[in-house]
Amino acid sequence: MTLPVSLGQPASQPRRLPSSRALGRFWRAVRSNRKATTGTVLLVIFLLMALFPGVIAKDSPTLDAYLPKLGISSAHLLGTTAYGQDMWAQLVFGTRNVLVLAISIGLATTAIAVVIGVAAAYLGGAWDGVLGVLTDVLLVIPIFPMLIVIAAYLHDSGTLVLIVVITTVSWSYTARQLRSQALTLRNRDFLEAARVRGERKLYIILVEIIPTMTSLIVASFLTNALYAVFFSSSLQFIGLGDPNTVSWGTMLYWAQNNAALQTGQPMWVLAPGACIAALGAAFALLNYAFDEIGNPALRPVPKIRTKRDRTASA
Amino acid sequence: MSTTEQEQKPEQAPEPSSEVLRADHLTKHFKIGGALSRLTLHAVDDVNLAIGQREIVALAGESGSGKSTIARLLARIYEPTSGAISYQGKPLTTIRSRRDRLRYSGQVPMVFQDPFASINPVFRVSHGVLRSLRLHRPELSASQRRDEAARVFEVVGLGAEMLERFPYELSGGQRQRVGFAQALVTKPKLILADEPVSMLDVSIRIGLLNLMAKLRDEEGVSILYITHDIASARYVADRLIVMYAGQIAESGPIETVLTDPRHPYTQLLLSAVPDPRAELSVAAETDRGEPPRVVDPTPGCRFRWRCPLAIEKCEQVTPALKELSADEVPLRHEVACHVAETGAEVRAFA
Amino acid sequence: MTEPPVLEVSDLSVEYALDRGVIRAVDDVSFTVGRGEFLGIVGESGCGKSTLLFAIAQLLAPPARVADGAVRFKGENLVGLTDRELSVVRWRQLSVVMQSAMNALNPVKTIGAQFKDAMQAHGSKDKAEIAARSAEVLRMVGIDPVHLDSYPHQLSGGMRQRSMIAMAMLFTPELVIMDEPTSALDVVAQRSLMRQIKELQETYGFAVIFVTHDMSLISHFSDRLMVMYAGQVSELGTTRGVFDNPRHPYTSGLLEAFPSIRGPRVPLKGIPGSPPNLAQIPSGCRFHPRCPRRMDRCTEQEPALYDVSGSEVRCLLYDEESKRVPSGATAPLRRTEAQHEHD
Repeated sequence: MTLPVSLGQPASQPRRLPSSRALGRFWRAVRSNRKATTGTVLLVIFLLMALFPGVIAKDSPTLDAYLPKLGISSAHLLGTTAYGQDMWAQLVFGTRNVLVLAISIGLATTAIAVVIGVAAAYLGGAWDGVLGVLTDVLLVIPIFPMLIVIAAYLHDSGTLVLIVVITTVSWSYTARQLRSQALTLRNRDFLEAARVRGERKLYIILVEIIPTMTSLIVASFLTNALYAVFFSSSLQFIGLGDPNTVSWGTMLYWAQNNAALQTGQPMWVLAPGACIAALGAAFALLNYAFDEIGNPALRPVPKIRTKRDRTASA
Repeated sequence: MSTTEQEQKPEQAPEPSSEVLRADHLTKHFKIGGALSRLTLHAVDDVNLAIGQREIVALAGESGSGKSTIARLLARIYEPTSGAISYQGKPLTTIRSRRDRLRYSGQVPMVFQDPFASINPVFRVSHGVLRSLRLHRPELSASQRRDEAARVFEVVGLGAEMLERFPYELSGGQRQRVGFAQALVTKPKLILADEPVSMLDVSIRIGLLNLMAKLRDEEGVSILYITHDIASARYVADRLIVMYAGQIAESGPIETVLTDPRHPYTQLLLSAVPDPRAELSVAAETDRGEPPRVVDPTPGCRFRWRCPLAIEKCEQVTPALKELSADEVPLRHEVACHVAETGAEVRAFA
Repeated sequence: MTEPPVLEVSDLSVEYALDRGVIRAVDDVSFTVGRGEFLGIVGESGCGKSTLLFAIAQLLAPPARVADGAVRFKGENLVGLTDRELSVVRWRQLSVVMQSAMNALNPVKTIGAQFKDAMQAHGSKDKAEIAARSAEVLRMVGIDPVHLDSYPHQLSGGMRQRSMIAMAMLFTPELVIMDEPTSALDVVAQRSLMRQIKELQETYGFAVIFVTHDMSLISHFSDRLMVMYAGQVSELGTTRGVFDNPRHPYTSGLLEAFPSIRGPRVPLKGIPGSPPNLAQIPSGCRFHPRCPRRMDRCTEQEPALYDVSGSEVRCLLYDEESKRVPSGATAPLRRTEAQHEHD
């Protein structure tokens, strides 16, 4: 039950452009929420690594001119691989591939889910039935085995293929979620008001419903990006990605091929593994943060100490 | 108060110009239960009503009485199961093309009950008004639309500067005014107001009720005011229609119905209205205040279980709305009650 | 009143710690409730009445907390007690009826199961005893005990609210707090429910605090009435006293905002403006921007609660200075003279 606080007439705010107002609110929210700050910082670090890899890692990731299996040193921050490549460079340059995969899969999955989920909810009837069957069929099939089967069939499994494949198997879950939320919105008065004033159905879906679902859509994007990181890295790890791409998953693939852990090259596994975990955590933290920003009831409670204050939990 | 006169003999068709909206034998049933059930909910049964120009008609009843369903039938959100609705003399079934439908929705718009759910929270409050203008008055240029939006905001008592606000910045009363502005901007003949003040604070309601009276007097708009609050109906309406369990129990000029209620249900309703200036009536000790859910009803009066005056006929024959006097429609007092139509003194609830 | 009061609220203040700062939803509220007394708390949205209720029942959850003051139930201060300490009092001596039964009742449990939960949570173990008492309280509110096996959605709105009240009666408490239990009901069901509550009260002698926004409804049932505005008590007195002789301009404005179904049809005005944003409270008297009897000093000086013939009124029209002045209309002029005296 929400708390019974009603603040009466809200404060008037200076008239600013909606985008800058939203940005300002977002910035304040990020700063005040620890999860958001951590997640944002992590994401920014990875973004920088992806955008300016050459600045951060001086070596080329593919150049195999070095002595293999070197340990950590000032020349090679993470040592070298069994093929004599600089691991740090691989890690840094590989970030771009991972982020491209994560963000594009996240966006594509969410976009498809939005269209199908909201259309099914709003149009109802036969449309809901047909789209529902389509969604459910994909929903029921376990994602990872399906991924493996599809990827195994496709020989050219470059980044684009990975994006298409992972998107295809991932959108159904989000579509179901968004459909549920759209269903609850469907009978809201402002949608009826739009219908009564004569708006077309497509307009209502695009302009009236979807903007009010932004927080769930953003959360879905973050979740899908998170899963994309893991799925794509996993596919690459088992060799279904293009092993010549520079990426964390392919690093793990080659590390596995060379029995890195057994032959005393733990960094080859730990470094990309930690990065995958860290990027996943970044998305997850941002997801929690968005939840808390959107719903104040979820926020952690600041401990206020007064004389006889033993907070009675309700 | 409408001053137009009209003949109402059943064989004669009404003059199209004086009536705004008319419903004949309007009925709406819903199928309830699962896919295999054959239960039918009778939300509205055989309702006849007419709304004239420049009048506020209050449609009162408890929840489940069918009043909101009637509003939605008139707004064409639902299609009637049977019966006919005519707008300015023309049946709604002839209004089929997108253009005609659009025109109708501009002439007969709806104002909703919940000020917090009836405006899209993502856009500025001018959004609905500007969209309505785009759809219904496409001949206007963008700057003309803004001027018209500003004008209509002034009429409803919000300043033109409110156009740029977001809904969360407005109070409940202000949001309802936005709802009226959205309805007004298409130059309507009749506004369907579905409990527009029920969710507002008491001291704010009066402002909205005064606005409705002003719209009738100055803008010449008729209003169908749906409510469960008889006192507010009395404050603003010219005529009162009392509904019970999907049917009309009583209807007539508001003062007539309130000072001389003939249907036992109307009497019960009036006796239950709290008035701080008077003692609360002690009538109906045993009445539990439960209106029935009308699923597959048998014939007979639907109020009979709660009515202390029920006679045998009430169990067998559904009472029809009969006039108590020979007046013309705006002044006519009608009752659907076997006991009342005999002319006997009906005093069911003090 | 020779008996000690059942409830004594002293200087209670409740704050919400929000992003943009601390907001005082309840400011310095004090009142008592005697044994068997029916106190109505009236106010519009944002006045703090629901927050006050939650604070009394010790149901506040962060970011809300009691910032100051005490809530003494039969002499013992409830503020700051742990859940364990409160459970002695909760439901056995003090129970709560929430606003919307559909929100407060568990939709997937039968009524009987929820009664059993409540009884077991507060010490009853004997199954037969629980079943008997559950049937008894349902009968008390006029519901056939066969409905112990019904789910909330199978009952009508009125019956749901009655079962909430029955649940509150399980241990025949001394104080029942009700938060707008009738607002979702129609007028006939409302009257029926109110009558039921009053009957129960007279039979079992418990005190009632009844929060509502509907003044006209409460006028027939409460012994005393407290009007709240913007988190503060603006008027407190006997019900008839407040209705027949409203002192605070807000109270009289509220009374005048109710159209009547009897008597002549008169145009009404309501109260212009809206309740204030609690983050931006007006200076001086919180009601001054909307007050038809505003004086100059109302914008600067915060009124305390003044005693006016047995009622408490938070309005400068009744403070010592105003009492020296014959009528409110001439007050501003005399005030300027008084100002000169001080310079």
